Amino acid sequence: MAKIILDNIAHTYEPNANNPIFALKEMSLSWADGGRYALLGPSGCGKTTMLNIMSGLVRPSHGKVFFEEREVTSMITEDRNIAQVFQFPVIYGTMTVYENLAFPLKCRQFPEDQIERKVREVAEILNLQDYLSNRAKGLTADQKQLISLGRGLVREDVAAILMDEPLTVIDPDLKFRLRRKLKEINDKYKTTLIYVTHDQNEAMTFADNIIVMDQGEVVQAGSPKDLFERPQTTFVGYFIGSPAMNLYKCSASSQNEISIGAKAFKVKTNINSNSDNLKLGIRSEYITVESEHSDNSLEADVIEVEDFGNYKLITASFDSLKIKAKVKRELDIPSEKVILKLPAEHCCIYENNKLI
Amino acid sequence: MPRLYTFLKYFFVVLWACFVIAPFLWAISTSFKDFNSVTGGATYIPWLQFEPTLDGWSVLFKPGSQGGINIIGPYFNSIFVTLTASLISIVLGTLAAYALSRYTFKAGIVKNNDITFFFISQRIMPPVVLSIPFFIFLSSLGLLDSLAGLILVYIVLLMPIAVWIMVDFFNRVPREIDETALIDGCNPFQAFFKVVLPNSVPGMLVAGLFCIIFGWIDFFFAFILTFTKVQLLPVKIVALNSSITPWWSLSAAALVSVAPLIIVAFIVERYLSKGNLSGALK
Repeated sequence: MAKIILDNIAHTYEPNANNPIFALKEMSLSWADGGRYALLGPSGCGKTTMLNIMSGLVRPSHGKVFFEEREVTSMITEDRNIAQVFQFPVIYGTMTVYENLAFPLKCRQFPEDQIERKVREVAEILNLQDYLSNRAKGLTADQKQLISLGRGLVREDVAAILMDEPLTVIDPDLKFRLRRKLKEINDKYKTTLIYVTHDQNEAMTFADNIIVMDQGEVVQAGSPKDLFERPQTTFVGYFIGSPAMNLYKCSASSQNEISIGAKAFKVKTNINSNSDNLKLGIRSEYITVESEHSDNSLEADVIEVEDFGNYKLITASFDSLKIKAKVKRELDIPSEKVILKLPAEHCCIYENNKLI
Repeated sequence: MPRLYTFLKYFFVVLWACFVIAPFLWAISTSFKDFNSVTGGATYIPWLQFEPTLDGWSVLFKPGSQGGINIIGPYFNSIFVTLTASLISIVLGTLAAYALSRYTFKAGIVKNNDITFFFISQRIMPPVVLSIPFFIFLSSLGLLDSLAGLILVYIVLLMPIAVWIMVDFFNRVPREIDETALIDGCNPFQAFFKVVLPNSVPGMLVAGLFCIIFGWIDFFFAFILTFTKVQLLPVKIVALNSSITPWWSLSAAALVSVAPLIIVAFIVERYLSKGNLSGALK
């Protein structure tokens, strides 16, 4: 187990091109030993490339990789002692489930009794103990993925377990249980877990630290709470949370006041900018329904009220802008006009899409 | 409607089966005839329409001194040459195909696809174009009219087939399998031999079948590059021809020579439709 440091890493798959496109733009990042991370971002944002650089399947075109003090940039995959689970199950079809699980240990010449003990332990965690003598090829897709996962878990001494959307093919109930199991494994063995996903709920419920990526860049790294409450960019605000953050073009009318059209709103941010690319962002969870006007309230036309069982989602229009508010289910929502309040402490102001 | 569909389906399957089996039945029937039964109009059913005889078959096993051609020696020569050349072609072809599928080669303007095409191009040329170079090549090595010489030439002819089939096969084998093996602690050679190769048996069997077929049926090079010491089955069978075509012994020879291919095809048949890594990923 080790702290993993990516030092000024960047990667392009076309190093000889005149204007190479970078799958991963220059960044430095460190992953604490025993941490539980989620790498979150839309498809094609460079998550898998980053994992492959850590596991050694891809050698970065720029920068260095360290495991603790040791530089491993040019170290081959098999010497890095990393476990990686891919999005789709990869099994050794000609082997039994037992042989599949034992394979990483056999390759590293562990003693036979230790292999057997570890394989049975992991098989039990993954509910595969009844299938150990079956041929891996005949199992269902989610069982196969459990085998892939199991091969990552049998080695206790790995520097990190990298998981590239590993639960995509697993059904929701098992997915939930497995996430919990992975957390338990992380607690028990203190193995660094890095979990790639584009599902924010998965990331939020699994990780202590979330790294959000977009177009080859890390746009924010922090706890689920930070990402939710103080998104550093409009992209994070839009990408994290359901529904996405409400974002409106605005202008600064004074240091702590912005206006959207003719309507002014107080904010806690000190705005010292005359930029014409200012945006106000507010989570729908923080917008409240009021019975009468007060500071930071606005009157909007109700377009739709959706009942999601545990909450209601109001979609309203204000000054031709759409505004979404998540409110308690018990609340009675007027059918035509609604007064909504945007609390100043939850208003985020963005200049050129970056949080001020 | 479904009943009509089922009827039509089976009707055409039966029709196709008859079409395929008819030449074999014809050859079997002819192989038990003598000169008179063959030339005296079309007959099909033994004992009823003609009196069966083993004359056609016995010619194949009698030595030349007794008017036969004795195919036993050439038969084993053919088996030995075909199997050895196919085996070497599969081994070399599989290694070449894996490298072409997984690694990027570049020498000037020549890239992976060009190398693959180079292999296949050996089969594009008419055999006659290759005959003189092969003749000179074997002659300079002192391997004319020898089994080793034939094996060498057949490897050149069969390896493109193996490379062609196996490159396509490996391209469909997900890279994640190799990568997983590397992550699990194998070096690239172990990843290939321990993980990729055992999963590639179906592809190798299919490639092997094609190599065996093309090696077994070759007449041209066996005819050009051998004289008296070494003879392969196709050349020997052609030696049956004389002023009167002996249809009965030719039919028997055809059946004997096609038998190994039928046996191999039956063994490999189930891999032909699923010659891929089904189930390895997803």
